[in-house]
Amino acid sequence: MRFRRHGAALLAVAAAASLSLTACGGSSGSSSDSKTVTIWSSVDQPVQDGLEKTLQAKVKPDGITIKWQKVENINQLIMTKIQAGDTPDIAFIPQPGVVKDMVSLDAAKPLDDVVDKSSLEQSMIPGTLDAGTVDGKLYGLLVSMNVKGLVFYNKPEWDQAGYKTPETIDQLNALTDQIRSDGKTPWCMGIESDTATGWPATDWFETLVMKYGGADTYNSWVAHDTPFDSDVVKQAGAEFEKLMFTDGNVLGGRSAIASTNFGTAGNPMFASPPKCWMYNQGSFITGFFPKDVTKNLDQNVGVFGFPPATAGGENPVEGGGDMATMLNDSDNVKTVMKALAQTDIGKDAAPTSSFISPHKDFDMSLYPNDVTRNIANVAYNATSFLFDGSDAMPGEVGAGSFWKQMTAWISGQEDLETALKNIDDSWPSS
Amino acid sequence: MLAKTLSALLTVLLGVGAALLVYWVLNKIAELLPAKWESRVKPYFYILPAYLAIAVYLIYPTILTVINSFKDRFSREWVGTQNYSDLFASAAFRQTLLNTLLWIVIVPAVTVALGLLVAVLADRLSPRSEKLTKTIIFLPMAISMIGAATIWRFVYDAQPKGTGQIGLMNAFIGMFGFDPVAWLQTSTLHLNSLLLMVVLLWAQVGFSMVLLSAAVKGVPVDTIEAARIDGAGERQIFFRVVVPQIKGTIITVFITVTITVMKIFDIVYVMTNGGFNTNVLGNEFWNQLNTNFNYGSASAIVVVLMVAVIPIMIYQVRHFKAEEAAA
Repeated sequence: MRFRRHGAALLAVAAAASLSLTACGGSSGSSSDSKTVTIWSSVDQPVQDGLEKTLQAKVKPDGITIKWQKVENINQLIMTKIQAGDTPDIAFIPQPGVVKDMVSLDAAKPLDDVVDKSSLEQSMIPGTLDAGTVDGKLYGLLVSMNVKGLVFYNKPEWDQAGYKTPETIDQLNALTDQIRSDGKTPWCMGIESDTATGWPATDWFETLVMKYGGADTYNSWVAHDTPFDSDVVKQAGAEFEKLMFTDGNVLGGRSAIASTNFGTAGNPMFASPPKCWMYNQGSFITGFFPKDVTKNLDQNVGVFGFPPATAGGENPVEGGGDMATMLNDSDNVKTVMKALAQTDIGKDAAPTSSFISPHKDFDMSLYPNDVTRNIANVAYNATSFLFDGSDAMPGEVGAGSFWKQMTAWISGQEDLETALKNIDDSWPSS
Repeated sequence: MLAKTLSALLTVLLGVGAALLVYWVLNKIAELLPAKWESRVKPYFYILPAYLAIAVYLIYPTILTVINSFKDRFSREWVGTQNYSDLFASAAFRQTLLNTLLWIVIVPAVTVALGLLVAVLADRLSPRSEKLTKTIIFLPMAISMIGAATIWRFVYDAQPKGTGQIGLMNAFIGMFGFDPVAWLQTSTLHLNSLLLMVVLLWAQVGFSMVLLSAAVKGVPVDTIEAARIDGAGERQIFFRVVVPQIKGTIITVFITVTITVMKIFDIVYVMTNGGFNTNVLGNEFWNQLNTNFNYGSASAIVVVLMVAVIPIMIYQVRHFKAEEAAA
């Protein structure tokens, strides 16, 4: 090689070139105890605006400024940023699985000595702290929540037909049969959601597993100590098949479920006469209802919580939400975390957005309408709040095989046994 | 806003300045050498930054990817060939490989065939209608893959029976009294995968047509006339006279489309995200990286893809070299 003799010169050149390359790569991470505390979240803008307003007012006496940034898809972003070493002080994470990953990367800091856990246990719905707990330590604090396993219906038509809110799953089955024998279609259903198709089915499924199995079985199922291929999960599947696969029970029939968008699936309820009568979805679905329905929400929409397996028995509720995690444990950030843990942190967010507080002692009069109050009541009266299981399972399962296998089962490509076994097989070994 | 503009301007100035400085210094160093060596070394000095950039942005990441494919999900501990054995043990991944293979077998061949067909047929139209036809077929090239996939999602859309169909396909078969079909959910005989391939064909045939049309027009007329005088039929002329003379272009188009197909991601991601047995390697890589946060598995998929592309690349380079030598 002719190059070799000029090694020194080459080296100098290479050094100069690499210097000019690295010069552009600097990042501006926040210093360890800055008076400005940065927060990232993917929550809806109105919720964020409300929370930010209250939070800023709470920490202003300490001279702290909040810099709250709305980012797209925080789950992906935070993992990338952690690896790049450029993170905010606090991040709102919607998935317990991601909180777990953050802990295993030593990015999230424990909150046990930051917030008053015993008073939180008093004020929050039982189970809410468990979602953010990893290896016995609290890392994610639920600040805002949504409630799943809610059955919505067209209120005026429902009242006119004289249907009653079911108290048990048996009564729900009876009601379904009654509506069908009245010559109507009992259920609206759709699980299509672009690249995330299948998640609404996992919500349904999780609700059934927790209602049949109770909180302990549900948690052990989410941790994969109880496999998918077990009796309680099969019982949930059988009930789902009874409600959804029976001819005439679902608008468009079984084959339409996988191609109907979850956001619009409930809208035929508001046709006159209704094309389907009940829609099981999360609290956020009211935002997808037609405008003339939401204009008068309390008059048009009724809602009840998915009934328990036995009357008066254990009745957990499924939900999701955004958990505040701390990535920088300076004193100022701790002050902000303490403020976020207070019950009235949602007082500006509640009246103007879809915000629902995970604190049972939250002032219910702040919610903008009765529908929201009813939804909050379903959660506050539940025996426990169980975080969306697919969000807590490893990504391979929660956002991967669980969604896809549910979809394959519902669209008739696989039977329940195969689908459940496939999900078990996809569980990562480590 | 002003601060942002200023900092952007400053960055550009600094970048250009630094680049100029590097070349100036390189030049100076070369000039310090004896005259004979100066002219010998200078070209290498000038090409050095480019090689350096390739090393930093291409070779280094490649090596890192290979290394990470032998590490755990957060690239911290060595796991040996665990990632690879996990992948190949999974039935879903084998299906993904099969689907990718289907794409590779079908799409490049059909793209070339359709492109050639249009090129030859359009050649016989009047100049005005030829232009119009080619423009229409070339038009989808201007649309991004994401855009194309979004458009075709509407074409394949299915609504419950009894409600209005907004999807073109279902509206069409509905006119004849057929029930709506959930096209993208039907994996019998890989129907949905084939329907996804249609989207790429729609977007790529224009490219194939333009190149092949130029080649067809470049075929010397006297060779065709000679064949005609010798009594060759149209079909014989096409397969024995035209095709051999444009073979080089056909291979070029074929290879280019093959490489596009191997990297296929956006269409599958937007339309099904790999559901209903339509998954391909590119989409599985994305899911491992961004949904599962499993960097080890994602790296292993990239390595598999890389190994699969290398033979095609080698063939392509050889082909280009042979073309150049012949020219």
